[in-house]
Formats: sequence, structure tokens, C-alpha cells
Amino acid sequence: MQVLEQAEELPAAGNLKAQWVSLWTGPVVGVVLLAAALAFPGFWPPMSPTWSADQVASFYADHTAWIRVGQVTFNLCGIMILPFFTVIVVQMKRMKGQSHVFAYCYLTALVSGATIFALSNIFFLVAAFRPERNPELVQLLNDLAWIVFIAPVGMVVSQFVLLALAVYFDDRTGPVFPRWVGHFALIIAAAMVPSAAAAVFQTGPLAWDGIWSFWVRNGAYVAFVVVMFFVLRNTLRRQAIDEGVVAA
Amino acid sequence: MSVITPEQVSPTATDGGKRDVWWMTWFFPAWYAVFGVIICLLTRVTPPPRPDVTAAGKVEFFAQHHLTIQIGFTLLLILLGGAAMTNGLVAYQMKRMSVGSAFAYGYLGGMSVGAIPGFLLVTVCFLTAAFRPDRNPELTSLLYDLGMLSYNGSLGCFSVAYLVLAIAILYDRNEIFPKWFAYISIWQIVTEVIATQMFVFDSGPFAWNGSISFWLAVVVFSVWLGALIVLLRRAAAAESADAPALD
Repeated sequence: MQVLEQAEELPAAGNLKAQWVSLWTGPVVGVVLLAAALAFPGFWPPMSPTWSADQVASFYADHTAWIRVGQVTFNLCGIMILPFFTVIVVQMKRMKGQSHVFAYCYLTALVSGATIFALSNIFFLVAAFRPERNPELVQLLNDLAWIVFIAPVGMVVSQFVLLALAVYFDDRTGPVFPRWVGHFALIIAAAMVPSAAAAVFQTGPLAWDGIWSFWVRNGAYVAFVVVMFFVLRNTLRRQAIDEGVVAA
Repeated sequence: MSVITPEQVSPTATDGGKRDVWWMTWFFPAWYAVFGVIICLLTRVTPPPRPDVTAAGKVEFFAQHHLTIQIGFTLLLILLGGAAMTNGLVAYQMKRMSVGSAFAYGYLGGMSVGAIPGFLLVTVCFLTAAFRPDRNPELTSLLYDLGMLSYNGSLGCFSVAYLVLAIAILYDRNEIFPKWFAYISIWQIVTEVIATQMFVFDSGPFAWNGSISFWLAVVVFSVWLGALIVLLRRAAAAESADAPALD
């Protein structure tokens, strides 16, 4: 995005630059997190909830180093993707014909949702800290890690619902996001809801290593970030042109 | 205390308020109703199970309510975001006050933090306990204590939210909420301070199921929540439909 010289000092230019940088945390941090996910041995394939305490403990003992690499990276970089989502908040607050109550609710849900993610890697890392601990305790930490990682979908589901509501309430003539973004957010929400059952089932598609709770749930979330990157990029370009910050 | 007449709270009265604010205002009591069913009838964490039972007694609690704990808390995992939505609505109304946004953001921050120890941890602990009924009873007992103490004993995050709410109401000149609601919010802080004792006592009035630590807090919370539901409706109705959006 090439800012026009005469617009350099305008507040609108600063606002757009901040959003542009925040937007790019999405792909940059996304790539780092993807690498961390590839490095984490517990995902290939995802660890089974049916493993005995001894199996869980020996898994942590055998793969201690790579478990640490994967989860320390999640810990350090996971929340760095937050600025990407705050661009959505800023854009929701640009929507006309509404009070922006949805944007404040979205921000609240965003913070709490991120905190849940930040908790799960601590449990993984404590389990890997002393793999020689009593296997029952390693299994308990592993259960907590997986359940916190997969099952609490409520905060992100409410984000999708709020985003959809905001899009549907937006001005029809000059909407911030195209209307299909609302439908898309609801589809992603629907895809993620069933994985709450990962806290109950030990086998089948809804178990935390199941096709739905692991692959569909996480795939849906990644798909949302990828699609929203392009949606937000278009939105920011249009905002920049409208506000005279870049050339049309 | 002013009496609220049906005309004042009706969405069609005066100039109506904003449609999206009304959506959230209706969602507020609906979510708390579902939440009430989950915590009281399904998962049995309110009123809380006893702190003064042996590990075997706690295993027995999970065995007895196994299915309803799993149904209720799985439902809560899906609906957890409702807490954020209701708190965002209160923050929105606080931002309409004459005192600016600082208190509103404080409320939003305190409540965002509070959702994790206050709701999420007990949900995860109880589901993890129910996940493996054959787990070592000592560990099930640990999950029981961790869940109950974080759920009943998350004090500061809510206290700060009540505090900024109370101060904001007292300073506010836009009369978004009546002044008496500030004093009820301060009573909420008093109950949180008293509840610190549940970390010391495992039986008696100050335990997590005690007459003072729990039942007094429930009475104050119910009055606070009931009043807030009515006041949010009043605030939504009093807002002009074409008022500009907030910064």
C-alpha cells in the first residue's frame, strides 16, 4: 500500500497503516503457528484419548524436545495473531446504521477466547516438564491440555455470530464487508460447534483426535483466517481510496 | 428508586432505541436463563456440592451426575461466548455515560478475564473429571476442588468490574443507570471480599457452600442481575434510534 505524499500526515493514514500492519500479523504469525503445529508430535496423528496413563507418559518421555518446540512456539506466538482480529473490530466499528454494540461484544469475546488458547499450551508444557512424573498426573495434564485446546469453542463461535450480525445490520448501499462474509462466518461457527463434545467422547469423529473435532474444527478456523485476510485486504484498500490516502 | 412503567421499557415507546442494541438486550436475560438451567439443574454446581467430603464422596458426586454434568457443561462450552456478549452490552451502555470510555473498558477487561477462571475452569475441570470415571480418586478430588474454588472463588476480576461500574454510574450525568444501582454493585464487591474466606474454611458459613460466603452472595447477585436486566431495557429504550454511533 503506497501512501500518497500529501496524505502522509493525515490521521487517516496513520489509522490505515496500523490496520495494514495488524492485518499482516495474520499470514506471518499463521505461518509460524503452522510450522509449530507441524513440529508438534502430538498432532501427527493427534494423540488418542484412549491411551493409558503409561502410554501418555512414555509419549511425553519419547518426544519431549519436539513437544516443547511446538508448544513453546504456540505459547510465544499464538496470541501474536490477535492484532489480525482487532482489524475486524476496527472495521465493525466503521459499519453504518448500527450502534457498534456488536463490536464491543466481539472484542470481549476475542480477549477471552485468546486467553483459553493461551492456557492449553501451559498444560502441554507442564506435562513435558517432568515426563517422569507419576503417569496418572501426566495423563491428567494431557487431558486438560487437549480439552482446553479443542473443546471450548464458545468464545470463537460467538465471535462468528457477532460478525455475522454486524454484517447483516450493515448499510446495504456501502457495506464494509460483502454480505457473504456473514454467511461464511455462520458456516464456520456451525463447523466448530460439534467439537465441544471432545470433552465427552473418547472415540469417534467427535473425540479430540477425531475427524470432526480435530481436522474439520481446526481446518475451519484456518480457512476463516485465510479468507478474512483477503476480505480485510480488499476492505482496507477501499477505505484507503475513499479517505484519499492512496491513489485509486 | 423510580418505578418503571411498561411504556418506558417497550421497544416501541418514545423513539425506540437501536435495533442491534435491542437484540443484545433481549439476548441478555435469555442467556442467563440458559446459564441458570445449566449450573443449577444440569451440572449441579449451584448450589455448590459440599467442600467437606472425602475423595470417595467427590467421585460419588461425579458418578451420580455424570450424564447431566457432561450435557450441561458441553452446552456451556458452546454458549460460553454469551458471557462476553452480555458483558459487551453493559460496556456499551457504560460508554454512553458522560464519564467517557475508561470505566467501560475497565468493565470489559475485568469481565473478559473473569470468564476464564470464573466459568471456563470449572467447566473444564468437571468435564475432565467426568471424562475418566476410573481416574485415581485423589486426582478427581483435585479437579473437584480446583473447579469449585475457581468458580466460586474468582473474586478480583468481577470486583474490579463492579467497582468501575459503580463509579461510572455515580459520576454519570446522562442517567444511563440510576444511582441506586451503583450501591447494589458495591454490595457485590462486599460479597466477593467475604468470599475470600472460602479458601480457608471447608465447612461452616464461610465455606464455598456456606450461608454467608454462598447464600448471601446469591441473594445479592440475584437482586443485581434482576435489576440490571430491567435497567438495560430501560437504557436501550431511552436511547435515540438515530443517535450517532459511539467512538
